[in-house]
This record gives sequence, structure tokens and C-alpha cells, in this order.
Amino acid sequence: MKRLPLDGVRVADLSMMWAGPFATRLLAEMGAEIVKIESPRAWDNVRTLLPQPGATEPWNTSFYFNDYNRDKKSLTLDLSQPRGKELFLELVAKCDCVIENYRADVLDKLGIGWDVLRAANPGISLVSMAGFGKTGPEKGLVGFGPIIEQMAGMASTTGYGDDGIPYKTGISYGDPIGGISAAGAVVLALIQRRRTGRGAWIDLAQRETMAQMLGPAFAAASLRGETPVHRGNRDPRFAPQGVYRALGRDQWVAISAQDDAAWRALARTIGAGALDSLSLEERRARHDELDRRIEAWTSRLGPREAAEALQRGGVAAAPVLDANAIHQDPHLAARGAWVELPHPKMKSWKQPASAWRLVEAKPLLRRHAPLFGEHNREILCGLLGHAESELEPLRAAGIIGDAPIGAREG
Amino acid sequence: MISAMGEEELPLAGVRVLEIGGGLPAAFATRWLVGFGADVVRSDAPRETLSRDEQAFLLPGKRRVGAGDRELRALALAADIVVEDGAPGALAARGLEPRALLREKPALVVASLTPFGQTGPAASWHATNLVAHAMGGILSLTGVVPRPPLANGFNQAWMLLGLNGFSAALAAYYGAQVHGEGDWLDISAQECAAGMLELYGPRAAFDNTEAPRLGNRVHAIWGIFKCDDGFAGVCALQRQAPAFFAMTGDAELAEPRFLDPAYRLTADAELGGLVERWFADKKKRDVLELGEKHKVPMGAVQTPLDLVHSAGLEERGFFDVVRTPAGDARVPGRPFLGMGWRAGELHAPAADTDAVRRDWLGARA
Repeated sequence: MKRLPLDGVRVADLSMMWAGPFATRLLAEMGAEIVKIESPRAWDNVRTLLPQPGATEPWNTSFYFNDYNRDKKSLTLDLSQPRGKELFLELVAKCDCVIENYRADVLDKLGIGWDVLRAANPGISLVSMAGFGKTGPEKGLVGFGPIIEQMAGMASTTGYGDDGIPYKTGISYGDPIGGISAAGAVVLALIQRRRTGRGAWIDLAQRETMAQMLGPAFAAASLRGETPVHRGNRDPRFAPQGVYRALGRDQWVAISAQDDAAWRALARTIGAGALDSLSLEERRARHDELDRRIEAWTSRLGPREAAEALQRGGVAAAPVLDANAIHQDPHLAARGAWVELPHPKMKSWKQPASAWRLVEAKPLLRRHAPLFGEHNREILCGLLGHAESELEPLRAAGIIGDAPIGAREG
Repeated sequence: MISAMGEEELPLAGVRVLEIGGGLPAAFATRWLVGFGADVVRSDAPRETLSRDEQAFLLPGKRRVGAGDRELRALALAADIVVEDGAPGALAARGLEPRALLREKPALVVASLTPFGQTGPAASWHATNLVAHAMGGILSLTGVVPRPPLANGFNQAWMLLGLNGFSAALAAYYGAQVHGEGDWLDISAQECAAGMLELYGPRAAFDNTEAPRLGNRVHAIWGIFKCDDGFAGVCALQRQAPAFFAMTGDAELAEPRFLDPAYRLTADAELGGLVERWFADKKKRDVLELGEKHKVPMGAVQTPLDLVHSAGLEERGFFDVVRTPAGDARVPGRPFLGMGWRAGELHAPAADTDAVRRDWLGARA
């Protein structure tokens, strides 16, 4: 079996919520050792955002936290205390990269900015991923994924078209886009260090990585002064195209007539063979009428049944999989896209395998997300060489901990 | 932090990348690679499927060749990374079966980007962006009940696939450099999305909780609202709720009962109405200023046309200017600061065939 590409890379992970943890989940899947650092007084809020009813340790039993933090190690350190900071810098000396998604001013206020990190380890890289970057007139803005989406132009491009309303994505889309980009940024820094011996400080503004996802819209805006047109689910290149009601409560099927041949097959399948010679231009002009004809057909069938019938004729079509249906999708099941990891305090559930399928190295999920402070001993005594006897005073001073302070009080 | 770097300081200088397929995912995956210094060679498809706007964003700096299958194979073996977005089996049909390429060149990275992956019962399904999006879960969550699920603008299934292609190919390339072992990446648009359904995916997997389309309002202080000159939003967690309510200066919103998250759940509609009323007469600029001053996550819906003239993005050097037949386009350039980046020019189809033969294959012009 081949080694995973980031085998041997160690990352100190100060990130929280979703954008940063998503980046380090990807890096962990590729073999990196991720040391997630949380303060006993300021833990990753996702641990306790959706506490399980009756859970005695809600910070250790969150499915939400688990999905995005598996295969990481947990070290608790209060970075606001001098000893906590010293220990952190000892760890930095043994890492290849530090990643953080604090608000733009926080890392410097903690006294562990780029110059401090570089003094601790001249080869270290730092990936900072504040919402609006570390420089510029908007660096003081605060943002989560949906804010990033609004400020990057994405929400303005999404809408049904008949109500003038821009829509947010159903997930906090700015976060994973920032995360995937940041994972690439970490690797880019590693590549550069391998060549030059120098680390790098990367200032990644999540708003800017989100805006990249709309690149062609900026060409349209700058060349022709265009503002986004809300097309609903239509596309001028394919007609008809839409999301059509299927049999069942809130069941839908997505269909695109991707070319003339697909249209002919679609028309015949829905019993509209007399229209099968319509050109793309004619189909665009009669889109509303064709939508009604299609939906009259799809509404009698389950979404998968409709999609499979159309696919057999060469038409691009698929059921719209919701958060439950996607876990039952036979295609994903056949590809082994879900993995159930044992967890010491929770039942297991289907977690996504790595989407970056290295066919020969085969990245596998190795371990559930870490319990709070689970690896304090391993990191502090094993990696950093401190005596076991040092742990208790650190615990007593609140520098390390096995439970978030105040979490029980909500 | 930003320094003027010469080409020799570009982090991917000397890295050879071959782009095959002609689609948006492969073109986006290699867009950042070329900007960071890789020599990206695009094998042009018989028919260009990218729009002119997509070309202006995705193709600057790439060299373009017209190559037959035999020559394409030679180029693949001369590359460090191959990125392709053809249908499963399309590479093999052209004599470039990835495992065979890896046997000949073990350090090669081949990244195959498809709607549903190389294997499985739906691998050969026909797909457009919308259809791929439908299978990934994000579509089902976007829009509002009872209206249909709603696709994001600008081909997000393909763009997300391309973004994953960039970072994954780069990770595999790093591994090839360190361990001497390349690999074949089988990346599907469906799995890229299915693994990032925020809390909704894991919650459904854990206890079958349904995730309805909530439109623009997840709850009263997490959503987009109509304001005086467009739309603006707030995303406040419990820790930001007190600052948000205090910031509004609205006596009703400042009532202590709304500080209790459990109470807020029971009074979401009432609170939402008050928040909606507060936004109604605000300008976007005022909302942003208040958010910054009070450290509350506040936003405003901006369009690409707004942003193309943004002083903030200008100061951070976000845009590249690309000369096109229709004039100079301003498109997103470097995705982050701290690494050398170069803007590029658009090349004509097949314009670099001879030069690439010479540089990569040692052929005489």
C-alpha cells in the first residue's frame, strides 16, 4: 500500500467552527497529523452547539463536531496564560504549519503572531483564514459562511427569478470553500518550503476564495456591466432544464436536456413526441409549457424511478437527494462513500469517507474525533518531553483541562 | 507580507501540468496551478464548451496544444500532474489509462474529475451541473419550501469539483515529491458535496432528522433580510446575540427575554418580525459599519458588479486584468496572499503546440 501524501506532516490547528476544521479534516485524510488546540475556557463552539439531550459530556458527544474533526488529536491549552503560550510555541517548533481562522486581530492579540511563530520555528508556515483577510479596509468585518456568501457575490446570483430575492445556500457555503482552499494553501506552503527552506505566511480571506467560485461573473460585470440574472434552475445552454416535482412529499427530480438527442428522448419519454424536433431556441421560448408537460409526467413517479427512466434514454437526470436520502443512495453505498467509526461515548453513524480518493493509497478514516484534551499527555509528555508530574499543576491552573470550563452551565 | 516576486519565486515554477477534457472542473482545478507558476498545458477539445466569460477567467496563462492521442500520451508522461474531466473511461479510450501511466511513471499524479466517480452504478450517468448538484445534497437544502430546491448561480457543482481537484492534486503532488509515489485521484462532484452538508448531513445520518429548505432564515438572528437599498444579513451565535441586540438600539429587541436561547426558540417568529423591521430602513453600508464596530457578523448582499469596483479588494490586489477580444476583463486573480502569483494572457487554441513539443518532448520545431 502506498503512503498517504501528507504522511509525516504535522499541523498545529487553532481553527474552530467549520472553515478551518474542514481544512484540517482534508489534511488529516491525506495523512497529516493534526493537533487541535482548544482552550479550556474557549473551546471549539461546534462541540456544544447542538448538545445531545441528556448527554453528560456534550462536548464529547456531538455528531456535528465529530464529522469535521475525526482523525485529529486534541490538546487543550489556555493561550492567554504565559505558560500556555510557551507550551504552544514548543509545539510549533515541532510542526510544519499552523492554521487559524480567528477574527483578523486575534492571533496578534494573543501574542502568537507570525513573527513570534517564526522565531519559534524558522521553517514554520502560517495559514490565516480570517473572513476578510488580515489587510485592507474591510479586515475588521466579522463573518461566518453565510455572511461570506453575501459579501462575495454568491447570494446575489442565486434566486427563483420571480420574486427579486437573492437566496443563501442551504449550507454555510463560504466555510467549506475557505476550508478546501486553505488545505491547498497549506500544501502550497509545504511545496515552497521544500524548495526554498522558507516557510510562508498565507493570508487567506474567505470572502476572496468564495468570490473565485463566481469567476466568470466578474468577467461579465467588468466587460458588459452585467448584474446577475436569477434563472431559477434554468440554464441558457440547456433547455428544458429544471427541478420537477415527483411523487411523494417534497420529492424532486432534476432534469436537463443536454443536447438535441437528449431532448428527443425526453420528449418521447414524457409522451410529447410531437415536440421532439424543437430546436434549442424553440425550447427556450416554450420553456414554461415544456416544464408543465415534464412535471405532469414526473409527478406520477418517484424521483429515482423518473431519473432512471430518463437516464436509460440518454437524458441527464437525477433524483434530488436530501440529507436523509443521500445516506441511502445505492451509488454512494456501492462506492463505499460512508464509513461508521466506533466512538467510546456515542453510537456510530455514517460519516463521509474522503472525497479525495487516492486509488492506490486508499485514504481511510482512522479514528473518531478526539475527546476534549484526550491527547494532552501524548503531546505534552510524549512529543514535547515534559514530565508527567507537570500535568497536574497545569490542570490546576486551568492551562490544560479535560472538560470545557463553564460548558455544563451552557 | 506581499512581495514582488520574480517568476523563479513562484511556488510551482517548473511543475508541469497537463489539462485534458475541456470542461469547467478541470479548467478551474488548473487555474490556480498556473497562477502559482506551473506550466499548464491545455489539450484543446475539438469543440470549445467554455463560454467567453469562463475562458477569460479560467484560461489566462495556459499554453494550448492540439494533440493526437499518441502525442497526448507522451505529454502525460512528461507531466507531473494530469488533470482531466472526461467521462469515466475516456482517458483509457485514448490510450492513457491512469494505472498504465503510473506504471510507466510512478511519480505521476492523475486527477480524474467526474460527476459521480469512476465506479458504481451511476458512474456512467449523463450529467449537467444541475444534475450533479442534485445528487450531492446541497441542492435539496437551498431555496424555500414549498418551492423547488434551488441551484446556486454559476455552476457550483462543477466549480466545487474543480476546487477540490486543485487542492487534492497539489497534495498528491507533494506526496509524490516526498515519497516518490504518485497516485490516481478519483474525485466525484457528488462526494465532494455529500461530505460537506454542514450539520444537516451528520444529523440525518445520526438520527434521521429531516432538513427542510429554510430559505433565507435559519432562525431570527441567522439570515438575510430586506433592507432599504437591497438585502443584508446577520449570523449571530449565542455568544454574539447580546452584542447584536444592544447594537440595534431597538428597545424591543433589547428586551432581556431574547437573550435566553431557549426562549428565543419559542419566540422565533416574533423575534424574526422585529429583526425584519429593524433591517427595513437600514442601508447596507450602515449595517456593515455597525457589525464591524460591535464585532457582530453582519453582511450585505453584494453583486459581482459591486465587487469589481471594491476598494477593499483593489487594495488587496484581488483582480487580474485579462485582455479579451471584448476588452479588458477584471477577473479574480490570486486566491490568497503570501505566495508568488502571476497574471497571464489568453492564448489562442493550439497556439503553443510547437513550443510545447519542443519544451516537453524535446522535439524540433
